[in-house]
This record gives sequence, C-alpha cells and structure tokens, in this order.
Amino acid sequence: MSSIDEAPLRVLVTGASTPLGRSLLSRLLRLPRVEAVLCATAPGEDFVSAFRSDPRVSVTRCDLRRERDLRSMLFGPARAQQINAIVDGARHRSIDAEGPRVRALNVEATRELLHLCERHETIRHYLLVSSSAVYRADGSSADVVDEEHPLDFRPNAPQWRRDRVEVDVSACVRMGMTPLRITVLRLAELFAEDAGSQLWDYLRTRVCLRPLGFDPMLELLTVEDGARAIALALASSAQGIFNVGGRDVLPLSRLIERAGRDEIALPGPMLAPLYALRRRVTRLSFRYDVNRERLHNNCVLDGRRALRELGYEPLERVDFGAVALPI
Amino acid sequence: MTTMARAIGRLLIPEAEKSRLEGGDFVDAGHGFDVFGASPGWIAGAERVLAPLYKHYFRVESVGVENIPREGSALLVANHGGTLPLDGMMIVLDVLAKTDPPRLPRAVLDHFVPSMPVIGPIFSRLGAVTGTRNNVKRLIEQGAVIIVFPEGVEGIGKPFSKRYQLQTWRVGHVELALRYRTPVVPVAVVGAEEQWPQIARLPVRAFGIPYLPITATPLPLPVKYHLRYGAPIALHEQYSPASADDPAVLQRAAQQVKEAVASLLVESLSQREGVFR
Repeated sequence: MSSIDEAPLRVLVTGASTPLGRSLLSRLLRLPRVEAVLCATAPGEDFVSAFRSDPRVSVTRCDLRRERDLRSMLFGPARAQQINAIVDGARHRSIDAEGPRVRALNVEATRELLHLCERHETIRHYLLVSSSAVYRADGSSADVVDEEHPLDFRPNAPQWRRDRVEVDVSACVRMGMTPLRITVLRLAELFAEDAGSQLWDYLRTRVCLRPLGFDPMLELLTVEDGARAIALALASSAQGIFNVGGRDVLPLSRLIERAGRDEIALPGPMLAPLYALRRRVTRLSFRYDVNRERLHNNCVLDGRRALRELGYEPLERVDFGAVALPI
Repeated sequence: MTTMARAIGRLLIPEAEKSRLEGGDFVDAGHGFDVFGASPGWIAGAERVLAPLYKHYFRVESVGVENIPREGSALLVANHGGTLPLDGMMIVLDVLAKTDPPRLPRAVLDHFVPSMPVIGPIFSRLGAVTGTRNNVKRLIEQGAVIIVFPEGVEGIGKPFSKRYQLQTWRVGHVELALRYRTPVVPVAVVGAEEQWPQIARLPVRAFGIPYLPITATPLPLPVKYHLRYGAPIALHEQYSPASADDPAVLQRAAQQVKEAVASLLVESLSQREGVFR
C-alpha cells in the first residue's frame, strides 16, 4: 500500500448531491484530518441541510458547464479555503441525457477543471470518479477486467458511454504531464436508487427478460463502498487508475432471483423492441441497446491494484430487496 | 419454468461432491460463483451427468495424476483433437476424481467460445475461461491448475490422417510458465483423436466459430481414453522471467514441452491394445 500523506485534507466535491456524493460527504466528515469540504452545486440544489451543523462544510453555487463559473469557483472560494484536493463526480446520471449541454457537463467541465487545477496554487490532487462502463465488454475479451483492459471506443455507442470514456481518457492522458496528482477510480455499477444504475432499473418490473443462452457475471457496488474507496484514495499518496469492485459478483439469473423477480429468457433480437416498448409503457429508463454487451458477456473488475495501493476491498453487500416496483 | 429447471438442477447436484469442491481450489466471489462464473454446484452436477461418459463410454484410464502439484498453480499442456473438446472434459473429470483435496482444472478457451449461446455460459460454470492474459494471470496467481491446448483449433479440427501428429504448437503457455514461475505438466490424451473423424468442414461463421465440422458418425465413437500425465517440467528454473519476452527462448521452451507431450503419446500409443481397448 502507498504511504498515507498525513497533511490536512481540504476537499472540493463536484456531484455532491448524488447518492455517492452524499455518502462521501458523511464519510469525509468522519475523518479528523478533513478540515474543509467545499461542495460545488448547481444553482437550486439544496442537499446539504443534513450537513449544515458541521462548520467544515460549505457550499458554492457553480454551473460547471460555464468556464467563467468554474474559474470563479476555483480561484475564489476554493483558493480562499486552500482546497488541496478535488473529487470530480459530476456527471449526468440519466442514460437519456443527450446533447451538447449534457456533454458540456460530462466532458468539457472536467477538461476545464483539470486545465485550471494545473495552475492553481493550492490544489495538488485531482480525483475523477469514473465507471466500469468505460471498458469494452465483448465476448472475446477477458472475464476479469484489469485497468489495462481496452476501453469502449465504438463510435456508435450512446453518448452516455462515449462521454464517460472521453472524460476518463482526458484525465488519464494528463497523468505524469502535470504537477497534479491524478487518480481515476473506475467504479463498478453503483446499485442504488437515483445513482444512475441501469441494473437497478432493469429489476424494476416483476418479470425481467434476459437473452436466451447467456448468463453473464455481473458486479455490483454499494454507495458506501464507493465512497470509502474515494476516501481511501484521497488519504493515500497513490496515483493512477484503480478499479473499484463490489462485494456482489453473481450471474444475471441469480441477480434476478435475489431481487425476487421472475425471468423469461428470449432470443436476443427480441429484447431490443420489447425493452423499447417497456420504456414507453413504464417510463423506466433501462435501455437494452446500451446494456446488450454486458447482458451477454462476463465483465468483473479486477480490483487487486486498489487493494494493493489504496487498501480498498469491498465490504458491503447490496440490498437486493430495496429495488421497488414502479407501481 | 425457471423454478422447475432450478429444482431439477438441485436434484442433479450431489451435495457431498459440491462441498468437497468448495473445499478445494474454488475461490467464492460471494454468491457461490467465482469471478469467472465457475460454480461447484454446476461442476458437481456435471460430474454426475458425465460420469457414464467418463466411466462407461470412454472408459477413461489414466496414469501419473500424482504429477499434478497438490497445491499451487500448474499448466497442464496436452495434445488436442476429436472435433469437440471432449478431451478437455475428460481431463477435468479425471483430475477431479483422482485428486483430494480436489484440484479444479480450468480449461483455457479459444476466444469465440464464450460468445456462443448456451455453450459459453455452461463452460463458464464448469470453470473454463477465455484465453486472455488477465484471466490466465489471475488464475495462476490464485494457484489454479490450468489446461492449455497449444494446438488450438488447428488441433481439434485435425483430419483423421493426422491423428496424434502435433500441429503448430503455440508458445503462449511457456510464456506464462516463465513469467509466472509455474511448472508445466505435459499430458498425452490417447483416444480423443479417433473419437469423431471429420469428413468435411462447412464455412459457417456464426458466433465466431471457424467452421462447422461434418463428422463421419452422428455420435463420437466409444474409443477408450488413455490419459498420461508426465513429470512436471520446471521451465522457470531453466529460464529467467525476463526471457518470457525472448521469442527464441519461447520457441525452445515450447519445443521442449512439445517433445515431452509427443514422447508421452508414443508411450501411450505403444501400450494400448487397440482404439476401443
């Protein structure tokens, strides 16, 4: 494991209003060496009421898509509070979010943030919260995916995935090229409500359709474990890319069973139109076209680097019973 | 329907064997499966279902299973043939039956196999993995026994006239052996290469398969299998880990393994009394 830097932590968090962000905030506030947490929130968001009693928490309103807002935040409140680390987790969670404004938050904001951090007087550590969705998951590739696994660069991938790959690569290419310490955490699927989990949404009907003849291994991560991995990465002096795996590794059929759903296996080509129909009828967001590969192929993260360098291993099991039906 | 299938599945699983397998090499990732999808329940069930094939149809006999290390990783490197990978299946059943605590051999599959419906998940449940660097590295690091067929598709599809003639011998297994300091156990499989003569190949490419074999008989012939496990070859004591990047060393080391398998084949073939005996 890398040595732990004992210097005080003064952290800026983007995406603090997400389930992961809130869990991270509580975890950071339990660490005595955390002296300040600055939450960058979009105008109109009010999630910090639970944390208001802690004097270390402050909020700055910032539209991350606007370069001027970013600059003002970094060289205003962040500099005033001598922020030394950034956790960048602001990304549109909805799979249906598309278009240039979405890309502005998903990709351009991070690019600009990195660019500005490089010349910031106090910021020394940039941590990107990335996801396992960046990895290619075709049948001919590995079942267990390490950090060197090929990324999904298919041009016809949905924007949701393309943006995640692009932002991940944008951070990775700067590693070693700047005075910043850059850490990229690729989290397994966060299985929680409102966390943007497609599998959560997949399980929100009584009957789940799955591809006939396939039963891939899936991996689920709890919000608590995700937040713990981020906190460990902040506390460690390690840099680089780290897979953050979850404690629940199981086949799709077992996942459906654990969630108390029934399954029907159908030929793959029938699933896309059926799930498109399901989206229309139930307004659930699960998209088969986006998840096709991982409903066919094993894709489990190899988290041994995170264990070695950050001391992270998953501890929490997901609550399969928490997935509510839509009606 | 699914519930009924699960109930039938549970009936097929011998609990004692499942527990025995759980006490062996198996590394549970949390829900009774390992990260590759292997399941002791499935393997125990497969042992029961395939027992008639192993004991009565192919009447598998083996010598030298004690050459497989009782613990730690090892590469079982064998000749390949017989149209379908029944040879791999028989090696798995043989090693499971004759080692205690059980060593679960993990067959390394060609890249197209996991993409095949039904077959891909079944192989996965039975412990086979796609032949990628990270998969194999992970298995070696967790001390697994891995089955490698260096002849690959060329081997399994070899014509009857070329039976027991080793085809192009790939070098990936020796690279692994050198890099990860793992012993190689050469294995000769006699019987498989006569089990299902091919008469033609159709250029079908569905699911990435290289061709569709047309066989002379609708079912494999009841040939008798003879498995012979040779003494472990400690290539890693002859070569340094750095030499895993040297193509000349790899060729030399692979040739050494190939010759060991060929010599075991000659020995087995000379001792058997006939294809069916």
